[in-house]
Amino acid sequence: MNIGTRKILDRSFTAVGIGSIIVMAIALMIVVVPIVSNGIGAVFFTGTIEHRKLLRDEFKRGNSENLDSEVASSERYRAKVYDMLTGFEAELETMAPEKKTQYKGKYSQVRTALQALLGPLPGDQMPMLTRFKYGQTRWEKAEEKLHDLLYESKWDNSNTEVMSREYFVSRAKSFEGTSLAPLFPYLSHNVEKMLLPEFTVYWGFITDSSVDSHFFGGIWPEIQGTFFLAMGAMLFAFPLGVVAAVYFTEYAKPGFLNSMLRSANSTLAGVPSIVFGMFGLAFFINTLKVSPSKSVIAGALTLAIMILPTIIRAAEEAILAVPKTYREASLSLGSTKWNTIATVILPAALPGILTGGVISLGRAAGETAPIIFTAAVSVGSAIGLADVLSSPTPALSWNIYNLASEHEAAAQIRHVQYGMVLALVSIVLLLNLSAIVLRARISKKLKG
Amino acid sequence: MAEEKVESNRTNAFVVSARKRTIQNVVKRAGESVLFAIASFVAVIVLFIFYFVARDAIPFFQIRGFTEFFTSSNWYPADDPGQFGALAIMYGSLMVTIGSAMIAVPMGVAAAICLSDILPFSIRQYAKPIIEMLAAIPSVAFGFFALVVLAPLMQDKGGPMLMWAWWILVSPFLLLAVIVVSDLLTAAIKDEKRRQQLHILLLIVFGLFSVLLLYKVGTVLYGVQILTGTNALNVSIILSFMALPTIVSVSEDALQAVGRDLREGSYALGATRAETIIKTVLPAASSGILAAVILGIMRALGETMVVWMASGNSSHIPEPWFNYLEAIRTLTATIAGDMGEADQVTGSARFHVLFAMGLLLLLISFISNLVSERIVIRQRKILSGQ
Repeated sequence: MNIGTRKILDRSFTAVGIGSIIVMAIALMIVVVPIVSNGIGAVFFTGTIEHRKLLRDEFKRGNSENLDSEVASSERYRAKVYDMLTGFEAELETMAPEKKTQYKGKYSQVRTALQALLGPLPGDQMPMLTRFKYGQTRWEKAEEKLHDLLYESKWDNSNTEVMSREYFVSRAKSFEGTSLAPLFPYLSHNVEKMLLPEFTVYWGFITDSSVDSHFFGGIWPEIQGTFFLAMGAMLFAFPLGVVAAVYFTEYAKPGFLNSMLRSANSTLAGVPSIVFGMFGLAFFINTLKVSPSKSVIAGALTLAIMILPTIIRAAEEAILAVPKTYREASLSLGSTKWNTIATVILPAALPGILTGGVISLGRAAGETAPIIFTAAVSVGSAIGLADVLSSPTPALSWNIYNLASEHEAAAQIRHVQYGMVLALVSIVLLLNLSAIVLRARISKKLKG
Repeated sequence: MAEEKVESNRTNAFVVSARKRTIQNVVKRAGESVLFAIASFVAVIVLFIFYFVARDAIPFFQIRGFTEFFTSSNWYPADDPGQFGALAIMYGSLMVTIGSAMIAVPMGVAAAICLSDILPFSIRQYAKPIIEMLAAIPSVAFGFFALVVLAPLMQDKGGPMLMWAWWILVSPFLLLAVIVVSDLLTAAIKDEKRRQQLHILLLIVFGLFSVLLLYKVGTVLYGVQILTGTNALNVSIILSFMALPTIVSVSEDALQAVGRDLREGSYALGATRAETIIKTVLPAASSGILAAVILGIMRALGETMVVWMASGNSSHIPEPWFNYLEAIRTLTATIAGDMGEADQVTGSARFHVLFAMGLLLLLISFISNLVSERIVIRQRKILSGQ
C-alpha cells in the first residue's frame, strides 16, 4: 500500500471512532428531545374552560366567580348551537322516511362529535365516567375534535395494490339544504368563544391524583410509589453492600472461597431483571409470605437484591481509592484495624460510596421488570407509609408501560404518558448527574 | 529507684492480660465472621435464585417433557390442553440479540478505541457522560420511545428511512474499499507512471460501479413497505443503544490494560495509529473485548420492557428466517406478559413453563458470565506475564 492510502485509512479509522460516539450522542438526543418537548406539555399547555371546570369540580381549585362569568359567556355562544340542534331535530320529523333514515345516521355522528368537543349536550343523561362529563380540556385536542366534527373521514380502498388512504368529506356539504348547514361555519368561527382557551400552567400534574384512570389529573401516586420502592430498596441494599465491600477489601484473603464470592457477585449483576421479578414472586411472596400478594415491601426487597452488586462494586472501588498513606498513618498511631476502617477509611471513601448509592437509587427507580409481579398495580391512589407492608402501589415505570400499551384509550392520553416518562427520566438523570458532579469533585480533591 | 518505678508502670500500661487478649481475639473473630456472613449473603441469594426458579421450572418438564418445549413453535398456553412449544420464542430472543449485537459491537468497539487511544483527555471528559446518560435512561423510557415514536415512523416512512440509512452508513465504507482495493491491485506494478494511470482508471471504474450499487440497492429499499412498526428491527436498534454503554466501558478497560510499551513498539516500527491499533492493540485486548461483547449481548437478551412494548409479541418464526421487519416475541416478554394470567392457576403447566423460560435465561446468563470472567482473568495474566 502506498503512503497516501495508509494515511487515508488512518484518518478514516479515526473518523469511524468519532462518528460512533457522535451517533451515540445523536441517539441520546433523539430519545430525550421528544420526551422532554412532549413531556413539558403535560404541565404547560393551552387549557380550555373545560379544564378549569374540571379543576373546580374535582379538586375544588380556581376562582369560582371568575369561572362562573366565563361559563356564562361560553354558554351564550353554545346556546345557538343547541338551538340549531333542536331546530334540525324538528325538521327531521317532517322529512320523507328514506331521507329521514339517511340523515338520522349522519346526525347522530354529529351529536357524538359535538359531545366530544363540548361535553354533554342539554337533555343528555349525565354520564357515569368522568371522561365523558367534560368537553376537551386541552386546546390542541379540541382542534382535533373540531376537525372530526367538520369533516367526515373516509377510507379509499379503490387501489388494492397500496394501503388504503384516508380522505375527508366536509359535513357542511352533506347537510346542505337543511337547517343544520349553518352549524358548521358557526362552529369553526366561534369555537374559541365556546371553549375560551388560555395558557395554563398545571403543576397539579405532579401533585394531584389521577381522575378516571389518568384521563385527567396528575401522577402523584406514581411518583410516591417510585419513591417508596427506590428508597426501600436502598434501605436494605446500601448497608449490606457497604459492609460486604468492607469485607472484600479489608478482610478477604485470596483463595477459593473469596473467588467464589466474587463470582457470585458478578453472577448476580448479570441476572436478567425479569428473573429477579420471578424470584421475588416465588420467594418473597409465595414462600416467605412477607405479604399476602403484591406489596411495596416485596418489591423493595426484590429491587434491593438487584442493585446490591452495583453498590458493592462501587463501594469497593471507593475504598480501594483511599490512599494507602491514610491507613498507614492511622495504624501507626496505634489504632486497631476496625478503628481505622470506621474512623479513617470509610469517611474518606464516603463520597465515592455515595456516588455508587445514588446511581443505584436511579436504577431502582427506573427498573420495571422486577416490580411487575411483586409490587406494581396499574390503578390506585397514593398509599400511606403504614401501608407499605401490605399494599401494592402504582409506580412511574410500570404505569408508563401500562398507559402506553394496555390502557383502553392509550392514544388519547399521550400527554399524560409523555409527562410520566419525562418525570421518570428527569428523576433518574438528575440522580446520575449529581453522581457525576460528586465524582468530579472527589477526583479534584484526591488530586489535591 | 524512682525511675525504675515509672518504667514498670509504663510497661504495665501496655501489657494486656491473657484474659483480655482472649476476649479481644474472640470479639475480633466474631466481628470478622459477621462481616463474612454479610458478604456471603450475595452467594446465598444467588443460590436461592437458582433454587426457587428451578423449583417452579422442574414441574413443567415433569409434566410435559423436553421435546415439545425445545422443538415445537406452537405456543397456545391458554388452550385446553395447552401447547407449549417455545422454539419461535427462543428464536425471537436470538434474533433481537444478534440484531442488536450487529449494531452495537462495531459501534461500541470503535467508540471504545476512540475513547482510549484517539481522543484527547479534555474531549473524553465530555464524551463519557454521554455514555453514562445512555446507560442511565430507564428501559421503560426506551420502550416508550420505540413504541410511540419509532414504530409509527417506521410504519409510515420505513422505505425512505432504510434507504437513507443504507446510503449514510454504507457509502463511506464503500468509498474506502474502492480506494484500498484499487491501491492493492496496482501495488505490484513497477513503472511509477503507468501505475498511477492505472490507479486512477481503477478508481473511476470501481467508483462508478459502487455508485451504481448504492443507487440500485437504495431504490429497492425505498420500495420496501414495513407493515408493522413494532418489529424485530425496531427492537434491535433500541436494544443496541442499551447494550452500547456496557460494551464501550468494558472494552475500554481492556484496551487501557494493554500497556504503552506495546503501542510504542509498533509506532517505532513505522506503523500508523490505525495500524498500531488494529494489528497490535486489538489482538492483545481481544479477549477483554470478547468479554465486553458477551456482557453487552447479555444485556440485550435479558431486557424485558423494550421487547415487551415494541416487538409485536407475535409467536412465530419470520418468513424468511432473517426477516427483521416482522413482529416477533421473546422469552423475557413472554414471562412478563403471561405471568399475570398464569399466576392465578399456580401449579399448572402454564405457570411453570414461564419459570422454565426464566431458568433458561438464568442458565445462559450464568454461563456467559462465568466465561467472560475467565476470559478477563486470563487476559490479565497474559498481559502481566509480558
